[in-house]
Amino acid sequence: MSKELLLEANHIYKSFSGIPVLHDVHFDVRRGEVHALMGENGAGKSTLIKIITGIYTKDAGQISWEGKPVEINSYQDCLNLGISCIYQELSVIPPLTVAQNVYLRKEPLRAGLIDYNKMNSMTQQLIDLYDFPLKPTTLVEDLGMGQRQLVEILKGLSNDSKLLIMDEPTSSLSGKEAESLFGIICKLRDQGVSIIYISHRLEEVYRLSDRLTILRDGKNAAVLEKDEIIPKMVIETMIGKEMEEVDDSSKELRSDEGPVCLEVKSLTDSANRFRNISFQVRHGEILGIGGLIGAGRTEIVRAIYGVDKAASGEVLLDDERLDPNPALSISKGIGFVPEDRRKQGFIPLLSTVKNVALTNYDIIKRTGMAIDENDELELSKKAIEAIDIRPADPQKEVGTMSGGNQQKVVLGKWLVRGLKLLIVDEPTAGIDVGAKAEIYSILDQLASDGVAVIVVSSDLQELLRVSHRIIVMRKGGIVREFKDETVTQAKILAAMQGVEEGEKR
Amino acid sequence: MKKIDWEKMSKPIILVGAIIILSVLRPQSFLTANNFANVLWSVSVIGIMTCGTVFVFLAGGIDLSIGTLAGLSAITVVEIIDKMGATNASVIIGIIAALCVGAFAGMVHGLIITRFNIPAFLVTFAAQSVYLGLSMVITNNRIVSAREPALFTSIGSMKILGFPLPIYLMIIIALISWFSLSRTTFGRDIYAVGGNPEASEISGVHVSKDIVLCYVFSGLTAAIGGIVLASMTQQGMASTGSGYETQVITAAVIGGVSLLGGVGTVPGCIYGVVIMGLINNGLNLMSVPSTQSGLVQGVVIIIAVAFDALQHQDQSRKKVKRISEQIKGTASS
Repeated sequence: MSKELLLEANHIYKSFSGIPVLHDVHFDVRRGEVHALMGENGAGKSTLIKIITGIYTKDAGQISWEGKPVEINSYQDCLNLGISCIYQELSVIPPLTVAQNVYLRKEPLRAGLIDYNKMNSMTQQLIDLYDFPLKPTTLVEDLGMGQRQLVEILKGLSNDSKLLIMDEPTSSLSGKEAESLFGIICKLRDQGVSIIYISHRLEEVYRLSDRLTILRDGKNAAVLEKDEIIPKMVIETMIGKEMEEVDDSSKELRSDEGPVCLEVKSLTDSANRFRNISFQVRHGEILGIGGLIGAGRTEIVRAIYGVDKAASGEVLLDDERLDPNPALSISKGIGFVPEDRRKQGFIPLLSTVKNVALTNYDIIKRTGMAIDENDELELSKKAIEAIDIRPADPQKEVGTMSGGNQQKVVLGKWLVRGLKLLIVDEPTAGIDVGAKAEIYSILDQLASDGVAVIVVSSDLQELLRVSHRIIVMRKGGIVREFKDETVTQAKILAAMQGVEEGEKR
Repeated sequence: MKKIDWEKMSKPIILVGAIIILSVLRPQSFLTANNFANVLWSVSVIGIMTCGTVFVFLAGGIDLSIGTLAGLSAITVVEIIDKMGATNASVIIGIIAALCVGAFAGMVHGLIITRFNIPAFLVTFAAQSVYLGLSMVITNNRIVSAREPALFTSIGSMKILGFPLPIYLMIIIALISWFSLSRTTFGRDIYAVGGNPEASEISGVHVSKDIVLCYVFSGLTAAIGGIVLASMTQQGMASTGSGYETQVITAAVIGGVSLLGGVGTVPGCIYGVVIMGLINNGLNLMSVPSTQSGLVQGVVIIIAVAFDALQHQDQSRKKVKRISEQIKGTASS
């Protein structure tokens, strides 16, 4: 690896509607290195990448490529320079062959027609060069996720890319597939290709990266050489050491004495996304579930509520065994706020009235078969009042509201009925600070009214803010339970990552 | 002064406009009670079928089989009457059998679509051929006539207060559909399923069961349409009802039903049906030769639908703008 700089970004500033997202950020990549970019959600990683790839324009700053200043104004500019981005959501087209995908929109021609022989042999050359386990004529739909990722990488390499940007490349891969991807990343590096590697999984980062840049709150927190990378320190840098003593980075957990509301006994998934999960939640308790994306948190709560079926294990609500499905769960007093609000949370074309009514028809008055529309409206007004949706227009289509208000509708429909247990998955993702605070206080209120609450969250601050007790999941199992003790963000993060405290690499 | 909501007003304006134009062009023949009854009578079968199939559209599906299913139901009823010697009892049995055929076919469509997760378009398109083929086999591709008994022929021709019975049937079915869609939990669930099936499932809606019921209702109204058609024409043959699915889809779309699901009302459908009746009637009164009427009808329908789409486009543009602002807002947080 040479020390020659391939890409250099200096004094980058960017703000959205007046809120600074990047502040005087410096970032550089050497030729032939794997450079990891890390930081918590909202630290500015994706904004920085989007500036480098021309999707956002920077407010100020300078980007140099191979020593010369450049302006990158579109993704095409970035491709022309030799930068390729491999996105989390793959852009390969399943019904086409590997070669057709790699040379999409730049097919070699002969007499105006696509020269498939040439295309296949060119693809084969690339495959040989990097020794990928692929064949040019295989259909992409017959490939696993890991191999599709390789096709995506090949596509980047066919542009003569000198820099590959990989954003969470292992998030949808199995352990074996990830392993082979790591091998290929090392091979690419040895061939002189530079890689920017973005991942939440620290273990991968430690293993692969030659250097590491950490962003925090839109600023440079550290740039570390390979031998300076120490897991515990990285975590502390990401969270911000000086915040260690501040109120919201640590919390005295408590133990609730109420009767057990929900008991889960060795719940196991048929697709092995979680196994042998047992825990209890008491009335009046807020249980936080932490873990990385893909640790199995969402899958567990979906199984408890009954959206998905667990392969084995038991769910007991107030000592009554349930074979859960959503309709039954609702009738038994369980509420559920799903992870993906837009896709799973509400019906965009329907008004607040009808969205609130959807789970509450059992408590709305009727004359014969006809719904009492006044009672229906009253119920939605109750929900709006309970959760303070502004403007309070019950007839407004939920799809046209702000993210915060949408989430309030999704949560609000549970507040108008008697709940025993409320499960919320990423309750405040993508919503503003004000609405966040309101949602927290509603969760607190529910708990003090004796409702058991389960909060799944990737936001550590949130987990600490709301939870009475915290369990941490990793790779489909519960690895740590925090109760009756002082817990810090660093401790939770360490458990999420499988790093024990004090352990040095 | 309150601003006029053009989107809400466009339908009445077009309807009144069409009536005025036709009144001016053909004052003698158009503006008669008899002609109005005629317009409604001519679209009553389409109306009956649209009010049933709209459930399927709202749930996000499509039913292309209703035309030939109406044919199969028509043949079921006329064959039974024929075989049982045209007694009154045979009429009752025939009608019940035809209704069962329609409901059963609908149930099969719904089950295949939900269990095997096959697009409704494919399932009902294939079913269309199956019913046409079945009708041909049963009738040996002959016309089965049913001029007797009066109990049967009166369904299509009997008049109450000057209006033929099929118009009342259309109104009754429209009221049932309208009531169940707007005032029952089943109807609310249908809109939710069409708007976002995943969120509906999580909200405890029995999505698959509801979808099957929609197809059952669609099949049932196709059967009613077939029975009425057989009675009106006093015969049944394999091609009875063929092509009605296109007319039903057109009427629904003119009436503001989205084929993507979740949007549309029964009054809208009735509006669409009546507009189609007026177009046909107008062409008739202006003695447009039948060789040309199909062409003119098609063009008029495209204009009507484009006009409607234009307004929605305006709305959806606003929506896109709002959403993109929202995304920017999220990115900044």
